[in-house]
Amino acid sequence: MPPVPRLLALFSLLALALPASAVDIDPSTYGYPISNALEATLATTPPELRPELPSDEDIDQDDYQVKLRPEREFELPENFWSVKKMRYRLAEQPGEAPLIFIIAGTGAHYASSTPEYLKRLFYGAGYHVVQLSSPTSYDFMASASRFATPGLTRDDADDLYRAMQAVRAQHPKLKVSDYHLTGYSLGALHAAFVSELDETRRSFNFKRVLLLNPPVNLYTSVNNLDRLVQTKVEGINSSTNFYELVLGKLTRYFQQKGYVDINDALLYDFQNSREKLSDEQMAMMIGAAFRFSSSDIAFTSDLINRRGLITPVEYPISEGTSLTPFFRRALQCDFECYMTEQLIPMWRARYDGGSQAQLIEQVSLYALSDYLKGSSKIAVMHNADDIILGSGDLGFLRQTFGERLTVYPLGGHCGNLNYRVNSDAMLEFFRG
Amino acid sequence: MAKPISLAVLFALLLGSNLACAETTVDADGFKQPLQNLQFNPGLDQREFERSTLEALDVYDPLESWNRRVYHFNYRFDEWVFLPIVDGYRYITPNIVETGISNFFSNLGDVPNLLNSALQLKGERAMKTTARLLFNTTIGVAGLWDPATLMGLPKQKEDFGQTLGYYGTPSGPYLILPLLGPSNLRDTGGLVVDFAAKKEVNWLNVAETSSDHPEITLLEVVDQRSTVNFRYGQLNSPFEYEKIRFFYHEARKLQIAE
Repeated sequence: MPPVPRLLALFSLLALALPASAVDIDPSTYGYPISNALEATLATTPPELRPELPSDEDIDQDDYQVKLRPEREFELPENFWSVKKMRYRLAEQPGEAPLIFIIAGTGAHYASSTPEYLKRLFYGAGYHVVQLSSPTSYDFMASASRFATPGLTRDDADDLYRAMQAVRAQHPKLKVSDYHLTGYSLGALHAAFVSELDETRRSFNFKRVLLLNPPVNLYTSVNNLDRLVQTKVEGINSSTNFYELVLGKLTRYFQQKGYVDINDALLYDFQNSREKLSDEQMAMMIGAAFRFSSSDIAFTSDLINRRGLITPVEYPISEGTSLTPFFRRALQCDFECYMTEQLIPMWRARYDGGSQAQLIEQVSLYALSDYLKGSSKIAVMHNADDIILGSGDLGFLRQTFGERLTVYPLGGHCGNLNYRVNSDAMLEFFRG
Repeated sequence: MAKPISLAVLFALLLGSNLACAETTVDADGFKQPLQNLQFNPGLDQREFERSTLEALDVYDPLESWNRRVYHFNYRFDEWVFLPIVDGYRYITPNIVETGISNFFSNLGDVPNLLNSALQLKGERAMKTTARLLFNTTIGVAGLWDPATLMGLPKQKEDFGQTLGYYGTPSGPYLILPLLGPSNLRDTGGLVVDFAAKKEVNWLNVAETSSDHPEITLLEVVDQRSTVNFRYGQLNSPFEYEKIRFFYHEARKLQIAE
């Protein structure tokens, strides 16, 4: 063999032996303007860099409800009347089209801002779109979750799968060519588990699945978020609490501006003003939002399962009953507290025990690593500065997904989802 | 000759690398450790979130039981009556007409805005709102079009509740009004005064005409609902009542201060 072809053969062998590497977007050409991960997470993309989207008038959409857990009608107190049936939003194209399911992130409603944004994006590109609430959200827990104790990802995905089947059954006339699936944040972890479930149940045969900023180790993510409210914020003392501090800044900002104008660019403009928040203050804001989610989860799960940790069992609740005392109790419970007090005891009782490490292994992306390695229809988009990741998580994604992973240099947690470069890449992936 | 320079370079390099270390270290797999530079409170002093939030929950609400019932009534009314009407209205009305109607009623609303700016002795704001009224009523054809905003005169809301607050009237107990939503004793009083003032001024004869034609009032109400983006249940929390109460309380404080 002459030397050059031999060399070529060697190289091609090497190329085969090495796993294909992830697509790393070059920071110098990416162009995303916010380099602070916390700021990106809070403010997302400045409006002029977002993609053009159809407005509400151009979208044929409706909210529907379906009864998935009839027993909840009797189990839940009367002031929960609005969450006894599962609600979702469907946007229909006029003719046959592919359908995409969107799974919301931690605690999020199907109509909150990120699923709404994704709906507009995909609807504009010609998809039917179904928006689903997160299994960790108040309405989904009450109306669609069998155990109402979210956190066991496989069970949550099972609940989601049943919900999706019910949605499909409610619209027999809808003409669907292919099914796609996406989710962001915790919803992306759910999407991975739903996709795996679909390989055996075969109701949808998802053609493509996109995971946007998924947690890798759920426990790391939960710890990061719990920690955010423990930051040392300047300007807080015995007479000023955190909210007063932030609202004071906001008031001064509007006074300088001369008028109140609340719009998409508000947070971005605010961070470029004299009143801008420090990193610790932004961390506290993000952390507080997640603490409100964790207290909703702790309260709802406790109430539905009658655990008596927050609401006394058999406590009479009617439409006029104040829930504030229970809110006060639930507020003291972060994700860690919810895990140790409610999730782990239930998991041990149902699956014959196990250690916390085993639980973390089961509910994180690790549990699916073989499936994810071999499944070419699943791709991941993530950010190098995502606040829900820990050391080594990106490495796991690189090993598992290879070239199906795209790593953006900036964006924080989901802050660049509505950046034009990212939205183009998402549409391109589903176009195939 | 060469020595000092190389020393300086070495020094600069060391300094530079030190700075780089303090800023960020990037893991081998490209992870940027975004939380590494945050300052945390010591372990035994980590109650700021709880302290702030428990304090924020203290809103004077002696009529809570009644308020909660009204809240649920409003929620149902919104879902079963109000929103279906608004959706129907949006469906049959062309966008340009819808915007025209919104502008028209918004122009009428500038009358109380002007009166209250004047009452609070906010000279510049009163002048700007006067200019808005003049431009929008003349060039904007009775307010159907809003050229004033394009000229850099944005709408600045002032109501009598804000005026009262400006002069130090306390907000009084929190109240949820049937159909109208969150309020408090002071702002409910303000609402009545603004309504009476609108009637008295009778700008463009609308107040007088609508007493014979209730459909004008209905249109105003539907238009108002269609421009407000709030939907019950969207906060998606079992504690929506508490959260709305907090937001209302703080938003009013902000509007009064501004």
